[in-house]
Amino acid sequence: MRSIYLVARRDYLGYVQAWGFWLSLLLTPLLMGLGMMAPSWAAASQPTRYYTVIDQSGNFASALRAELDQDRIQTARITLDPVGVMNGEPSDKVQTFDAAIDRGASIEDALEEAGGSTVDLPQSDFVYVDPPATTQEDIQPWLLGERLVETPAGSQPLFAAIFVPEGGNEIEYWSENVTAQNLLSKVRAAERTLTEKRVFEEAGVSPQILDEADARARDVTERKARPPSQAEAGSQVTLADRAPFFAAVLMAFLLWFLIFSVVNYLLMGTIEERSNKIFDSLLTSVKLPHMLAGKLLAVLAVALTLMGVWAIGATVVTNAFSSSMPADAREMMFTVISAVARPGLLVPAVLSFVLGYLMYGAVFLALGSLCDTIQEAQTLMTPLIVLLMVPMFMIVVAISDAESPILSVMSWIPIFTPFLLILRIPAQPPLWEVSGLLLLMIAATLLVLWLAARVYRAGAVHGAGVGDVGKWFARLVPGKK
Amino acid sequence: MTSSVPLAMEDVTKRFGFFTAVRDLSLTVPQGSIVGFLGPNGAGKSTSLRMALGVLSPDEGTARLFGAPPNIHSLRRVGFLPEERGLYKKMSPRAIISYFARLKGMSAGESRKRADELLEMMGLAEFGRSRISKLSKGMSQKVQILAALAHKPDFLILDEPFSGLDPVNQQGLEDLIIEEHKRGATILFSTHVMEHAERLCDSIVMMARGRKVFDGTLDEAFGALGRAVLIGVSEGFDLDAAMTAKGFPENEMQGDLWRVSLPPGRDAQDALRAAIDAGAPITSFRPLEARLRDVFVSLVSDAEADDLRQTLAADSGKVEAA
Repeated sequence: MRSIYLVARRDYLGYVQAWGFWLSLLLTPLLMGLGMMAPSWAAASQPTRYYTVIDQSGNFASALRAELDQDRIQTARITLDPVGVMNGEPSDKVQTFDAAIDRGASIEDALEEAGGSTVDLPQSDFVYVDPPATTQEDIQPWLLGERLVETPAGSQPLFAAIFVPEGGNEIEYWSENVTAQNLLSKVRAAERTLTEKRVFEEAGVSPQILDEADARARDVTERKARPPSQAEAGSQVTLADRAPFFAAVLMAFLLWFLIFSVVNYLLMGTIEERSNKIFDSLLTSVKLPHMLAGKLLAVLAVALTLMGVWAIGATVVTNAFSSSMPADAREMMFTVISAVARPGLLVPAVLSFVLGYLMYGAVFLALGSLCDTIQEAQTLMTPLIVLLMVPMFMIVVAISDAESPILSVMSWIPIFTPFLLILRIPAQPPLWEVSGLLLLMIAATLLVLWLAARVYRAGAVHGAGVGDVGKWFARLVPGKK
Repeated sequence: MTSSVPLAMEDVTKRFGFFTAVRDLSLTVPQGSIVGFLGPNGAGKSTSLRMALGVLSPDEGTARLFGAPPNIHSLRRVGFLPEERGLYKKMSPRAIISYFARLKGMSAGESRKRADELLEMMGLAEFGRSRISKLSKGMSQKVQILAALAHKPDFLILDEPFSGLDPVNQQGLEDLIIEEHKRGATILFSTHVMEHAERLCDSIVMMARGRKVFDGTLDEAFGALGRAVLIGVSEGFDLDAAMTAKGFPENEMQGDLWRVSLPPGRDAQDALRAAIDAGAPITSFRPLEARLRDVFVSLVSDAEADDLRQTLAADSGKVEAA
């Protein structure tokens, strides 16, 4: 045990003293934070664009404005009650807001009526201006930026002009910018809405009847069937029911991310030892299994250090901002965290994490022992990285359906089991299946460790290289020697 | 079971595919001795040493360290300098020496104290906390040697310890080996530089083409080559007849001089006395000093010739069979 500790300690200190570790430690949360904030920043930094409608039909401009307001209306609803809106059970505030909008109130007035006037709504990205010209030919200088339109914010370029003829076959959308498609899609949606109304009117159905039909449609309430032992929880579906799925996706992603990022340390560390020709000195000082255990432990400790520091950082940040966080959002966060802490999810997740780490870590150690250079390692890494992308796709599948049959089948492939077992746990698979998957994972990990030790010995002691892997596979082909 | 014999190898053979790197090697390194393990490149020295340490497993035969198959406990009594030098480039000499000493069982404090002591002794104290990557190749090599002996091993195995060192550092290493020997360590080192073996060793083992071609003391090695003297006499005197009569029957002309071989138990003084007694008109006399290099070249050449003969015989056998 002492030699395992000494190897682990040396490797751990070697890793944490490297620049790469500090970059991972500091940049990962920073980049993740930036990644999460990017959409809202992008939305906030979106310049206000000005459009005009040359509308011979008379009602298209207002229909388009209503479409453009839809995003802001939804943002306002979520801001008023995030949990209720996500669960499809809007609070009284949201219902008041919806009623005001239905009466034709502006978003700002509807918010004030619902008691959410303090909500800071983003400005609309597209603002209507009166047409500076009425024909396609005459409006070109404004669209090309040669002339500017007058707006409350001063003189601005015209982003788009929509020509809506009275009758005719097509609406023309003119703009110099062909990459920003938001306004174009809103134009199409507005036309669709107007056409639906027109067609119903032509059929003798008034728009009021359509609205009434919408209003009279009954709500569909989602209910959860529970065993009698959980009868007191009621049948209503709450966030607590969904939290384990969110937590499982989070944990599977965390495992994937950690394996993907820290096992590289094992690969690089072993390549360094091979190229530094240090194996003989080590192997006459420590048993090979102890050496491998020490190395795996060191990188696990690096992973735990990263996770620990990030967790502490997240707690500090959360505490610092919890007072300014909406109560509903706080409740949602604590519900997910408490779902993570449930033993039914936590125990298999921790086992999956440890076994998954050992399995992939041992593979990377073995690969490193065969390589003299990073370039050689990359030739062997590519198929592994492709393999590691599969669980990522499975996480996407699990987000839409955690009980998908493909998840059930693929969870029995040992290299994917660690990730997919975590994803399946919230769906409460039968005990025999969970036990079977855990046993399979343990057996597969032991087999991989045994094989990795043999490959490591071949690389470290006998100097076997990448070429020998090719020869070994060639020998498996019948008729080849 | 422990034994006082640091290393005993019996009929050890190691093959890599169709190539036999070491064949039927038996050797014993007695406690307290300095044994030179000699042989040309590719003779099987490093493979033998790696088998002795359990890094490689022999295909046949046994290797025993202190009476037991090599294991982590017996290896703790061994210090090993591998042929392929290597250290962690980002660590400091002090940290590396201390690390290997701790792996061999020393406590943290003791290992650091020992590292400082050794670095001071080898004139590397000022570089003790520098990164290995900042040191010269010779300095790094000295650090690795220190790492091998930091835990005060009973048995030091040094594979080509002098290669890569300049003459000053080679002398320093010789001194260090003598110091370790005085401390009580048994030492086995491989080399193909004969002068080091001549100066340091009690006995030598010579390898050629994977086989042991000699195992004995330095005197026995010189004896294997045969000793002789060169005597010059005035023209017309038959030295061969005179020396044969005095019990020196193997004589031959080499240029202007007679090469008189010394039979077992007779030395150069005896030969000179015999020539004078025979009334030889001596013009010059020179004992031929046997050098280990000559013994080495002779034995290796014999082994290679033998090997070649065996290969040819095997080939001709195949031809006849065909």
